[in-house]
Amino acid sequence: MGRIEHRFKAMGGPCCLRLDANDDVMAKRAIAAAVAEVVRLEKKYSRYLDDSLTSQINRAAGAGVPVPIDHETSALLSYANTVWEESQGLFDLTSGVLRLAWDFKSGRCPNQLEIDALLPLVGWDLVQREEGSVYLPRAGMELDFGGCVKEYAADSAAMQLRRSGVTSGLIDLAGDMAAFGTPQGNVSGTSGWPVGIRHPVEKDKAVAGVNLPEGGLASSGDYERCLHIDGKRYGHILHPHTGWPVQGLIAVSVLAAQCIVAGSSATIAMLKPADEALDWLDNLGLPWLAIDVDLNCHGSLVASQQLSPG
Amino acid sequence: MKYLTGLLLAIVLCGCETVQPWERGILSKDEMQWQSNVMESRLRNQVYASKEGSSGGPGAAGGGCGCN
Amino acid sequence: MASRQDDLNKTLVALTSSAFLLPAYQSAMADAPPEFTEIGTRYSKYKEDDISAKKAFGGRSERYDIDVAQFYLLAPVSDDWSVALDVSWEDMSGASPWFVGESIEADDAKVIMSGASIEDTRTEVSVTTRYYFDSGNAGFNYTYSDEDDYESKALSLDGSINSEDGLTTYSAAVSASDDDITPTQGAYPTNTLDATKDVRSAWLGVTQIVSKRALVRFGLSYTYRDGFLTDPYKYLDDRPDERKEWTVSAGYRYFLEEPNAALHVDYRYFDDDWGIASQTVDVAWVQTFKDTTVSPFIRYYSQDEADFFSNIDYEDTDYFSDDYRLSAFGAFSYGLRLSHEIGNWSINADAERYQTDESWGVYGGEESPGLVEFWRYGVGLNYAFK
Repeated sequence: MGRIEHRFKAMGGPCCLRLDANDDVMAKRAIAAAVAEVVRLEKKYSRYLDDSLTSQINRAAGAGVPVPIDHETSALLSYANTVWEESQGLFDLTSGVLRLAWDFKSGRCPNQLEIDALLPLVGWDLVQREEGSVYLPRAGMELDFGGCVKEYAADSAAMQLRRSGVTSGLIDLAGDMAAFGTPQGNVSGTSGWPVGIRHPVEKDKAVAGVNLPEGGLASSGDYERCLHIDGKRYGHILHPHTGWPVQGLIAVSVLAAQCIVAGSSATIAMLKPADEALDWLDNLGLPWLAIDVDLNCHGSLVASQQLSPG
Repeated sequence: MKYLTGLLLAIVLCGCETVQPWERGILSKDEMQWQSNVMESRLRNQVYASKEGSSGGPGAAGGGCGCN
Repeated sequence: MASRQDDLNKTLVALTSSAFLLPAYQSAMADAPPEFTEIGTRYSKYKEDDISAKKAFGGRSERYDIDVAQFYLLAPVSDDWSVALDVSWEDMSGASPWFVGESIEADDAKVIMSGASIEDTRTEVSVTTRYYFDSGNAGFNYTYSDEDDYESKALSLDGSINSEDGLTTYSAAVSASDDDITPTQGAYPTNTLDATKDVRSAWLGVTQIVSKRALVRFGLSYTYRDGFLTDPYKYLDDRPDERKEWTVSAGYRYFLEEPNAALHVDYRYFDDDWGIASQTVDVAWVQTFKDTTVSPFIRYYSQDEADFFSNIDYEDTDYFSDDYRLSAFGAFSYGLRLSHEIGNWSINADAERYQTDESWGVYGGEESPGLVEFWRYGVGLNYAFK
C-alpha cells in the first residue's frame, strides 16, 4: 500500500487529505472520520448556514436571551478571547459585520457615515460570555468564527486520522494545513510533509517549500480581494476600531505546533501595520514568511526556502 | 506466583513510554482488542470450562450450565 | 524557531495554552459507547471424537455433539449508555462417561458410557447495560440459562477507570449466581433429585499501554462455589460442597506494522483447594490483508489432578470422583479464525481441534480413559448500522 489522496470541498474551498496506510479498510474509515469532522465543524460554525450555531447566536443578538453553548464552543470563544487580548483588540470575532460597508466586488469605497453606523456593532468586550451560554447585546451584532474554525478543523481532522490508526498524514483545508508523522518514501534525512506556500500573485508558483513536521501551517492573505481606488490599495482585512482596511502586509504564513495557533498568528500579523508586523513575527519565535505590498519576502522561512514547482 | 506477577508488573510499568492520546490509533485497532469475536470467545471459553477442571481468568465467573 | 527559544514569547505561550483547552487537543479521552448498532449471528458445531474400543467397555462409543446458534446485539442508547444482548440456543445429544471400571483381560481402566443417549437443549439470555463516563465505564449484566436439568441466574457488575494520562486502566468485577440442579431421571438413580449451587466471584485487573504498539494486562480472580458440586449423573461421584479457586492471568498484545499483524499472548495460572492447579498459554497471530483477517492460534493447557480423583475407588476416602476433568492431563488445541469485511457486513468462520494426553501434562498423575478430544467449528455473520 502507500499514499492515498482524497480531495473534497468544504469550508468554502478545495480540501485535500493525504495519508500513508497499509490497510485499505482502516484508511477508508480514517478518511471518512476526518472528512466527517470537517463537515461537522462547518455545519456547526458556518455563518452562511441558517441552522448553524453561529446563525442562532447572531439571530439572538439584542433579543435578550442568551444562547446555550456546548463545551467546544465555549473553549473556542475563550481561545478567541486570548487572541483578542494578545493582539490588543485587533483580532475580534465581532468585526465581520464591517463587510456590510465594504463591497469589494463593486469597486466602490464606502463613506465614513456608512462605516460609523456599523462601528457600534463591533466590540469583543461587549460580548456576554457566561458558563454555558453566550449573548450579543446589540441587535445586528455578529460573531464570525471564520478566523479560527478552519484552522481548528484542520487540527481536529488530523486528530481523527491519528485516532483511526493512521501513522502519517496531511490535511489541507484550502491552504490551512495540519500534518503528522513521516511520510513514506521520504528522502533520507528529511522528515515531514513537503508543502509549498503559494505565491500571492502568480497562483501556480510557490514562494517557498517547507517540510511540514508535526504541526500546522496557516496562511492569511489580502491579495485575493482588494480595491484599487485612486492608486491606493484597500485590502479586505479591516481594522476593528476604525472600520478601514489595514495598510499592512499582503500575505503571511506561520508554522506552529497547532494549525489554529499558526492561523491566529498570521491573522494578527495581517492586522498590524507592515513594519510593526514584521517585528512582531520576528519576536514570536515561530517560523514565518511574509510578503509586503512590493512583493518582497521576509521571514525565517525565506532563508530555508527550497523552491519547488507548483 | 503472585510475587512473580507483581515483579513482572513492576518491570512492565517502568518500561512504559508516554503514549499521547493521538498516538493510540494502533492500540484501538480491532486486532489489538482483548477479545476478538464476542460470540466466538463466549463459546470457546464455555467449552474449555466444561471440559477442563479449571475456569475463570479475565473477568468474574458468570453463571453456570449443566454441560458435561 | 531559530534564535529566541530561550525566552519563549509570552503571546505564543498564551495562544498555545489556550488552544490546548479545545477538545481536539484534550489529552484525556473519555470512554464512549459504540458509535453504531451492531448485530451478529453465528452457528457452531461442537463434536467430540468417539471413544475408542480400547478405552470403553462395550466397544467404540459416540460421545457428545452440540449444535449452537447465537445472536448478538450491541447498541448505543444515548451519549453515555449502551445495551448488549446475547442469546444462545444449544442442542446437545450423545453419551458421556458414566463411570470407570477395571477391565479383566488387561490391567487397565475403561469407561462405561451412559447407556441412553442424552438429549437436552439449553437457552441462555444475557443482557448487559453499560454506562460511560469521562474516565471509564461501568456495566451491569444479568444472565439466565435454562435446560431440562439445570437452571442458572447470574448477576454481575464490572467497572473500569482510566488513569489521568489514559495509559493505565484499572478494572474490577463481581458476580453472583444461583443455580438449580434437577437431574432427569432415567434407568439409574442420580446423585440428587434437586440441589442448588451458589457461585460468588471477584476479579481485579490492570491494563497498561506499554508503547504505541503494545498493551499488557494483569488480573487476579477469586471464585467461591458452594452447594452441590458433585456430578449428578456419574456413578459414585461425591465431591466436597465447597470449592475455592484463584487465578492469576497476564495478557499481551503487540502490533507489527510491517506484516500488518498483531501478536496475542495470554497466560493463566489456576489453583484451587481441591488440589487442582493448571496453566494455560494461548497464542494467536492476527494477520490482516486488506479486508481479510486470518488468525491461526494455538493453546496449551495442563492440569494437576484433584486430591480425590481416582479411576477406581480402591481407598475408603471422604470424597471420590473418576471424572476425567479432575484428572491430570495436558491438552493442545490449535485452530484458525478467518474474517472478511464487505462494506458494513463481516463474515467469519473458525475451526479448532482439541487433543488431550496424560503424558503432555506438566503435572504427573493417573491417566483417565475418559479424556476428551473434539472438533469445534463455526460460521458467523455480523452487520454494523454505520
